[in-house]
Amino acid sequence: MTIEKTGIKLQEILNLDRSSKKLIPLNEVEITISKQQILLAVKTILKSGIWHLSAITCQQLENEFVLLYHFWKSGGLTLLISLDENNLQIDSICSLVSGAEFYEREVREMFGIEFLGLPNPTPLLLPDDWEGGYPMRKKEPASQEKSNENPLQDKGKSV
Amino acid sequence: MSKITVPIGPQHPLLKEPLSFLVTLEGEKVTNSTLRLGYVHRGIEKLAERRTYIQNVYLIERICGICSHIHSTTYCQSVEALLGLEVPKRGLYIRMLLCELERIHSHLLWLGVLSKNIGLNTLFMYAWRDREIVLNIMEEISGGRVSHAVNIIGGVRVDINEKHLSLLQESLQELTIRVEEILRSIENDRSFRARTRNIGYLSLEDIKRFCVVGPVARASGLDMDIRRDAPYAAYDELDFEVPLMTEGDVWARSILRILEVIQAIRLCTQIIHNLPDGPISVSAPRRVPAGEVVSRAEAPRGEVFYYIHSDDSQKPARLKVRTPTLTTLITLPGQLKNVQLADVSAVIAGVDLCIACADR
Repeated sequence: MTIEKTGIKLQEILNLDRSSKKLIPLNEVEITISKQQILLAVKTILKSGIWHLSAITCQQLENEFVLLYHFWKSGGLTLLISLDENNLQIDSICSLVSGAEFYEREVREMFGIEFLGLPNPTPLLLPDDWEGGYPMRKKEPASQEKSNENPLQDKGKSV
Repeated sequence: MSKITVPIGPQHPLLKEPLSFLVTLEGEKVTNSTLRLGYVHRGIEKLAERRTYIQNVYLIERICGICSHIHSTTYCQSVEALLGLEVPKRGLYIRMLLCELERIHSHLLWLGVLSKNIGLNTLFMYAWRDREIVLNIMEEISGGRVSHAVNIIGGVRVDINEKHLSLLQESLQELTIRVEEILRSIENDRSFRARTRNIGYLSLEDIKRFCVVGPVARASGLDMDIRRDAPYAAYDELDFEVPLMTEGDVWARSILRILEVIQAIRLCTQIIHNLPDGPISVSAPRRVPAGEVVSRAEAPRGEVFYYIHSDDSQKPARLKVRTPTLTTLITLPGQLKNVQLADVSAVIAGVDLCIACADR
């Protein structure tokens, strides 16, 4: 089944309005769904023969976090889910797509989004003793000042 | 039988980059393994949000030392899509030429690492000797052996001249002979077969379940190649085959990668024979209009994925990179199960890990 047809079927099953956004390039379709629909949506996509999940992108916007599930089969189908910043919980899709585990773990530690049912919720990229916040959030600095200091630098002089 | 836990990594002679495995053994047999990433995490995605689109080209190239060009290619083509720029044909062809040279270099480097890990030092020397041919071409064209800085937003920075063309023609001929020799020897060599056959097996179901990409997926029978299925640059104008095997073990991955090198040489030859005339780049504005773009390309290790969200400024609001190694890493604990400790090195090398890519 083509990407377009799967998109239409998905909108029918989930009772969505027929507007789907086109990303650039044009063979990328983006469909907005609610977070309660994620498991049903992924099941529908898998059933129609699209099994490849390229990535899960998380992005922080003004008052919300956006999760993008990028599926692919000769063309891209992206599911967009927005999460309220006071309730950052969503069902894990690892039970359906085993390959999502690393993507979800990365989003979890970088943005602080909780995936319910994630099989191994331990740090993937950050150190075990990491004490900073969630590094990819907008308010977090790009580097901690302490670690930026050059230990060989003469403290008295400016370089 | 009592269980022993052996740490492999973060620093270990077997690994070329830092990665940590905890392997649980019963006798000589691996019963369980866990892995831990992040030793070379540099926060590239975060850094990219603080740099302009032009500065990011150089940052993105430093995600990985082996496949630096494919990263900047994917990044540049996403920004060009946002800007609505059309890159001149000659620019696209030079981009593809570097992509294919990089594929040859990456696969030969990998063959060296694998043969070193399984104790075949002669093959290691041959593979790395032949890799020098490609590195020399790339140095001649771009000035850099691993970081080429060839891509700019809107095209490429360097042009191919007559001298390059004759060097390419000569070198590619020599390389073809050598690669065919390597293929013959690994197909027939008994020690190579004994160390790689039926080791690190992945079934087609596992490949689909874990969303694995690239040569590892194709060696298990999954027919997927972004260059053919969703052509970028000008791959739709070139004629090439996508090798496919069904054995799904380290041996199949080795043969498949060498077949891919032969196809890449074929592609390079086509590119230099059909190199269009004209400009190599167009000038690009600094400000990028608001929009979202998804871009994919076939790196030496498989599909590389970029997502850029622009909010109509000079810096990206979000840049997401998903590299192919992240998809193959997740299958390693499964591949290592019931493997003899001595074969762990073959399994780890067999998937062609690039930890710098995976950690970003």
